[in-house]
Amino acid sequence: MWRDALAVAGKDLRIELRTRVLLNQVVPFALLVLVLFAFAVGPGRGPMFQAAAGVFWVALLFASVLGVQRSSAIEASDAGRDGLRMSGLDPAGIFLGKTAALCAQLVVLELLLGLGVVLFFGSRVHSAGPMVAACVAGTAGLAAVGTLYGMLSSGLRVRETLLPFLFLPVVAPVLLAGTRAWQSALGTGATGASPWIELLVVFAAVYLALGVVIYGPLLEAA
Amino acid sequence: MAANPTTAEAVTKTANRVQPLGRRTKLTTRLVGLGAISSLVATVWLGLWVTPPDLVMHNLVRLVYVHPPIAWISLYLAFGIAALSSALWLWPRTRSRFFDRLAVSSMEVGTVFTALTLVTGSIWGRPTWGVWWAWDARLTSTALLLVLQLGYLALRRVPGDPDSRARRCSVTALVAAVDVPIVHFSVQWWRTLHQNATVLNANLSPTIHGAMAWTLLLGFVAFTLLFAWMLLVRYRVQVLSESLEGDELEGALRERWGETGDVGNAAGLVGSAGAGEGALVGVSVTGESQ
Amino acid sequence: MSYVDAGYAVALGSLAAYAALLWFRRWRLEQIASAAPLDSTLRSEESNT
Repeated sequence: MWRDALAVAGKDLRIELRTRVLLNQVVPFALLVLVLFAFAVGPGRGPMFQAAAGVFWVALLFASVLGVQRSSAIEASDAGRDGLRMSGLDPAGIFLGKTAALCAQLVVLELLLGLGVVLFFGSRVHSAGPMVAACVAGTAGLAAVGTLYGMLSSGLRVRETLLPFLFLPVVAPVLLAGTRAWQSALGTGATGASPWIELLVVFAAVYLALGVVIYGPLLEAA
Repeated sequence: MAANPTTAEAVTKTANRVQPLGRRTKLTTRLVGLGAISSLVATVWLGLWVTPPDLVMHNLVRLVYVHPPIAWISLYLAFGIAALSSALWLWPRTRSRFFDRLAVSSMEVGTVFTALTLVTGSIWGRPTWGVWWAWDARLTSTALLLVLQLGYLALRRVPGDPDSRARRCSVTALVAAVDVPIVHFSVQWWRTLHQNATVLNANLSPTIHGAMAWTLLLGFVAFTLLFAWMLLVRYRVQVLSESLEGDELEGALRERWGETGDVGNAAGLVGSAGAGEGALVGVSVTGESQ
Repeated sequence: MSYVDAGYAVALGSLAAYAALLWFRRWRLEQIASAAPLDSTLRSEESNT
């Protein structure tokens, strides 16, 4: 399973390196969301300061929808899905591989997005640890759910409109917990970050486990 | 619908395709329905007139005979059945069309109950808290449940072969089912850690005793019977509409292919209903056979 | 109209409406299923005649 995962992850990442879709399209979109929120919430420094953590995670969520669509578009054609099925790769490995690749891409996005938030929203970082931990755990969860729903909706013509509607409600807890954790680290929240990070870890663990179990049955089609 | 009059013995197989409801099922459904109606009427009568107003909440307590049962059914009964059926369908050893049909039926009826949970909760909340909506833990998680359920129903509408559709939907149901407790927990946490929580913790849970307790129990029974009736009917609707889909698909396919393998019937082909391609094939075959 | 009355009315009214909708859907589908002379004859049957 792990070898298959590495193979699939490598393939997805190599495709990204070659096409640079994430870099050229998804990152600018995320930064655009930042700007839009600045228009919506600003220009007062106070509200922007308070909103910074939330804005980061919302922008990340929207960008991850694009990332998921991109990741599932790689095997969107029927031929692609058949190829995957008949390749003999362990479906759990395929799931983990795609999830890892998506996760890696999103983490890169987060670095840039985080920088943007600190810069544009005037955040002051009290402790980077919780921010990083929240990002890693949160992204793992996002990627797991995303890969699952990406495969589920691949090949459907209504994928563009349906995927966000399916995906975003499920990852709402990630938004909630991530924002609280970041608020604590940025000094705008009232509570400690660790319980929220624990929640993010649990979320990621649960959906990674579910994905490993369910990706196989999902992949075999009629 | 395809009309294919070429063969003299156009056997109507449809009647055999979907068995008409057996007498026992019809009787059960009818009994459940009658039970639902009578217990609902009793609940309304007891709830609105017979039982006394609460000391604290006055007449508002009467909504406790309606809102909590609906909420319980929406989350634990309807959604629970849908999630369980989906899991049973996904597991190869227990896979059966019954579970897929049960899942969608339960989910659809459950969505109605979820929406009503929110509406009745809101109606109760307005005089209690002064606002139509409050981001308290239960209302928020219920709102998210509604969105998840609507997503399931939207996905269900996407056309496709029954197996793929069942596969997609059952995975969605499971993902949602796993999500619901996480959402509930995190939202609850979110609310209790926020300063204003105390205002809204004031509650929709009055102390219940005596006649009120019995009425509450009756309310649960009544709405559960109603749910059961709706589930039975919705299941039947699902069975019927699936077979109709199948017939329509077959009819459409037949129109499209014509009777290409059947030279003997070529003459009849030209008269076959509306099938442009079929008519073309018919003409060319007739021409050849001359 | 008090809030309580409104609550009961909305809840029971909506459920009644949905119940009626289900009933109607079932009725209509039963009609279609029993009336339609769709021949779902198997091809093998036809070619055997």
